Amino acid sequence: MGELLEFLRALLNDPFDFVDLPARQAITDAVNWVVANFRDFFRTYVSPPVRGVMNGVHGALSAIPPGMFLLGVFALGWWAASWRVGLFSLISLGLVGFMGVWDPLIITLSLVVTAVFFCVLFGLPLGILCSRSDRFNAILRPVLDIMQTTPPFVYLVPAVMLFSIGNVPGLIATIVFAMPPMIRLTNLGIRQVQSEFIEAAVAFGSTHRQILWKIQFPLALPTIMAGLNQTIMLSLSMVVIAAIIGAGGLGLEVYAGLERLNIGQAFVGGIGIVLLAMVLDRITQGLGEKAPGARHKSE
Amino acid sequence: MIRAEGVSKIFGPQPASIMALLEQGKSKSEIQQETGHVVGVNNASFDIAPGEVFVIMGLSGSGKSTLIRCVNRIIEPTGGRILFKDPEAGELDVTTLDYEQLRMLRKQHMSMVFQHFALFPHRTVLSNATYGLEIQRRPDSERKRIGQEVLDMVGLGEWGQAYPSELSGGMQQRVGLARALATQARVLLMDEPFSALDPLIKVNMQQELKRIQQELQRTILFITHDLDEAMRIGDRIAIMEDGEIIQIGSPEEILVNPRTEYVARFVEHADPTGVITAGTIALPFTSSLVQRVGNRYGLQYFARRGYPRLRYGQDSTGRLKHVMTNERELPVQPLEQVIEARAADHLPERRDDLILTCPETTVLRQVLRGRLHSALPIVVTDRDGRIRGLVDDPELISGILEKRGHFQQDTVTTSDCAP
Repeated sequence: MGELLEFLRALLNDPFDFVDLPARQAITDAVNWVVANFRDFFRTYVSPPVRGVMNGVHGALSAIPPGMFLLGVFALGWWAASWRVGLFSLISLGLVGFMGVWDPLIITLSLVVTAVFFCVLFGLPLGILCSRSDRFNAILRPVLDIMQTTPPFVYLVPAVMLFSIGNVPGLIATIVFAMPPMIRLTNLGIRQVQSEFIEAAVAFGSTHRQILWKIQFPLALPTIMAGLNQTIMLSLSMVVIAAIIGAGGLGLEVYAGLERLNIGQAFVGGIGIVLLAMVLDRITQGLGEKAPGARHKSE
Repeated sequence: MIRAEGVSKIFGPQPASIMALLEQGKSKSEIQQETGHVVGVNNASFDIAPGEVFVIMGLSGSGKSTLIRCVNRIIEPTGGRILFKDPEAGELDVTTLDYEQLRMLRKQHMSMVFQHFALFPHRTVLSNATYGLEIQRRPDSERKRIGQEVLDMVGLGEWGQAYPSELSGGMQQRVGLARALATQARVLLMDEPFSALDPLIKVNMQQELKRIQQELQRTILFITHDLDEAMRIGDRIAIMEDGEIIQIGSPEEILVNPRTEYVARFVEHADPTGVITAGTIALPFTSSLVQRVGNRYGLQYFARRGYPRLRYGQDSTGRLKHVMTNERELPVQPLEQVIEARAADHLPERRDDLILTCPETTVLRQVLRGRLHSALPIVVTDRDGRIRGLVDDPELISGILEKRGHFQQDTVTTSDCAP
């Protein structure tokens, strides 16, 4: 009797003394196992396409003379939103160039474009699948929670172990972190399409696919564009973190500046990131409002 | 063209098990209380002829919108059959079609107009109107041509490039109508198409629909909660209450001979002057109020009580030969002609020596107009010109106030709707 009481007292006081969950060791072992067995797989099948797209984008963007580039950005901003946005974009990116970090800017932009490319490539179909299957949605939702809330520092090291250092692991980490809003908002946008439109499409004999592409997708486009906008913003927020594992660009300026206690260099990099973020935000928002499905919002 | 046989729809987790309860004669509210299932439609049957405008009328919650969706199976009926017959498609049991066949039916043979228009906001008016053609995979040029045609037909020929949000409600529903007409489907399902419109625009649209229907002769299943609308556009009307069809008949049959208390209350305030016909209220010569007052030259003479001096001479085929008063023959003219000839007179001279005749299908409104020109009873004739009876003030008054006529008992038959 006395022994039982003693046991209960100990259990209430310090229950953790009784069980030792060897999580650290288990995860370390698991990661080591994955690295040992799948490293080659990742390096032969995952790295090359990511690196290829990155190099392609960077090659294309850096081939444009900076003056032309600025003019192009001005035109794009004007077309997507207004001449104000065009002018703002021109001045912002021009400022970054005058501060002497044009090349890092182009690298960062290439990183963002590449990451967003893969986020859309996988996020859009996954979002569509989520919108069509409640079960798939229920399965994917916790995965998205994990992708969004796990601190990126946690998976930086495994990423390096799998992909070695450089732009690729940074891109992979960025893609993991930035894809969820694309999936979530695609799903949300399609689910939000009013059932009366679906009913009308069904009544005229549309197939599921026709309903998706002729009705749901265009009407969801403003919401999907908001997802794209979020994805771009999140990828930009990752460029400094990615720099820790060897990605270049403005993030590297910040990181290097911090390491050498060169405050000016760090700030110039930071300002560049902010200005690029604002330019991309205004332009994609403009695109979202231009989407044909945005019309019903004004009704 | 479309026949529904005992169509039922039950909402809830186990609809099939509820069918047995319905057959046992349990009421909708009993079932809802005991099992939590909602009976949307209960054993509805009707038969729509090609070219007919068939109206289903009921208050909200009566199951009419559910029933129309069972016809193209946007809502899957729990029991019963829907049959579709068409020279092109043959006879189809809609309730057993598989997904592809059903899609074909919706694409080619049945189109739909919705209460809240359901126009696609991201498409132009033209591309909304041609949506069905796009699904039919018609070539671009053909789509444009037909699209323009149907938009012209509904009076929106200039608006093809506009977006739905730029249009008023009435115009939007014209686009909805154009979209449904464009597919050339023989059957048009219209779910309260004009209910969301202002009263004036609503009447406009009803006239428009009648005009288009005269031209195109589609078969229309039309849902409404507005009795006047049903009377105005329906060839026949089915009245629904609590998921059941309680009466089917022509507007006049329903008005003059409501089958239940519910229908009677419903039609109480309807305007009968555009619905009830002279044939229904006419006083027949077989009535005790008409006396035979002799024969001469092979004619039979009749006189109405209270008008001894007016003698109606009827020949052996039953036609009116002449009307005599004190050996003088009175002029006889068709009512329509007189009204037309004197349309300009604001206050016409009302004659007491002119006999008007009208066919039995003339509505009371027109008969009343005729009364402006002659104070004498109007002679109503049937299709072959034979005398059907007389219409005078007593008939008109009881027809309008009581919605009753001398003929209702023997001529009005309520169609085949299960009790």
